[in-house]
Amino acid sequence: MSGKSAGPPEPGVESVAVETLEEIARRNQVWSAMADKYGVENPVPPWKTSLDGMCDAIDRSGADDDRTFTFKDRRDEEDVLSATRYADLPYPENQLVALAHSLVARGVIDETELRHRLDAVRARLES
Amino acid sequence: MSDHDHDHDHDHENTVKPMVDEITDFEVLEIALRELCIEKGLFTAEQHRVMTEYGEQIGPTPAARLVARAWLDPDFRNLVLTDALAASKEVGVDWLDPTGFGTPSDFYAFKVLENTPEVHNVIVCALCSCYPRPILGNSPEWYRTPNYRRRIVRWPRPVLAEFGLQLPEDVEVRVADSNQKHRYMVMPMRPAGTDGWTEDQLAEIITRDCLIGVTLPKPGVTTNVITASVPAIRPIVPIVM
Repeated sequence: MSGKSAGPPEPGVESVAVETLEEIARRNQVWSAMADKYGVENPVPPWKTSLDGMCDAIDRSGADDDRTFTFKDRRDEEDVLSATRYADLPYPENQLVALAHSLVARGVIDETELRHRLDAVRARLES
Repeated sequence: MSDHDHDHDHDHENTVKPMVDEITDFEVLEIALRELCIEKGLFTAEQHRVMTEYGEQIGPTPAARLVARAWLDPDFRNLVLTDALAASKEVGVDWLDPTGFGTPSDFYAFKVLENTPEVHNVIVCALCSCYPRPILGNSPEWYRTPNYRRRIVRWPRPVLAEFGLQLPEDVEVRVADSNQKHRYMVMPMRPAGTDGWTEDQLAEIITRDCLIGVTLPKPGVTTNVITASVPAIRPIVPIVM
């Protein structure tokens, strides 16, 4: 996607499969459907501002330390992933899943670790 | 409220807004991802909290006030056009420290583009979704889409027409492409029918989309207006020359 050389494009993050995230995408508990089901009027899910804060905080972290991925990397990968692996998800669900995908594909977060944390968070929220 | 004999369940059904009574995968994912990022040192919980609070409180109000004041005060207009950062401070926005805890990398340069009878400006970020957030709030969803970003640069008039803005042929359309260091905002022309208006009245009609450049301010159209509408029975009306 970078167009740095004349050769074939290098496989991007979309070539990596993250089964944990694909399962979430398949279950498709998107806000529009949940809001309809419960008669809720809010146009965006309650976690959206926290996701915005997370993206801002990561972008700022990337600006301070070029070893992590930059603002442009994050947005480019979000665009690619939203058009490919997560094309069926609306915004902001696709932004959230794309961010998780980027961090897993880059090895910042291990997929097994993510799966365990998802289970732990759900258990905590349902306790 | 003095009557305590009412049926509580019935009362609550009428006064409490419904909420999603189910924990979704996306809600869980957002929390799990955030916790892991904090543990990996990408950011701290405090940095995240401040950024979230900042994102929730910003909006287009300071930008509308900046334009309204520029319409009324020629000296302030000159300041807006020559030193937009200084003008922003006068409406309460400090671009060099918008969050109050440091300078994010992308808040370095800000320029206000003045519409004239000959030139109409519109902003985009062809690269990603850069936007003058400190003064205009979060960008609308469509501003982020690749289709807007790609097409407004190539075919500005047809894309503006999709927003309902049809400009005369003799008006030049300029598309300002934002990037990580430069942010833009449009200063629309003051519309007819606003003579004698106060700054508050003028600020009400300067909506977010006017400041992006995909529409023009009109008396009676404010950010709070709920437009009455009817189904389009005959949406295409032939023009008889």
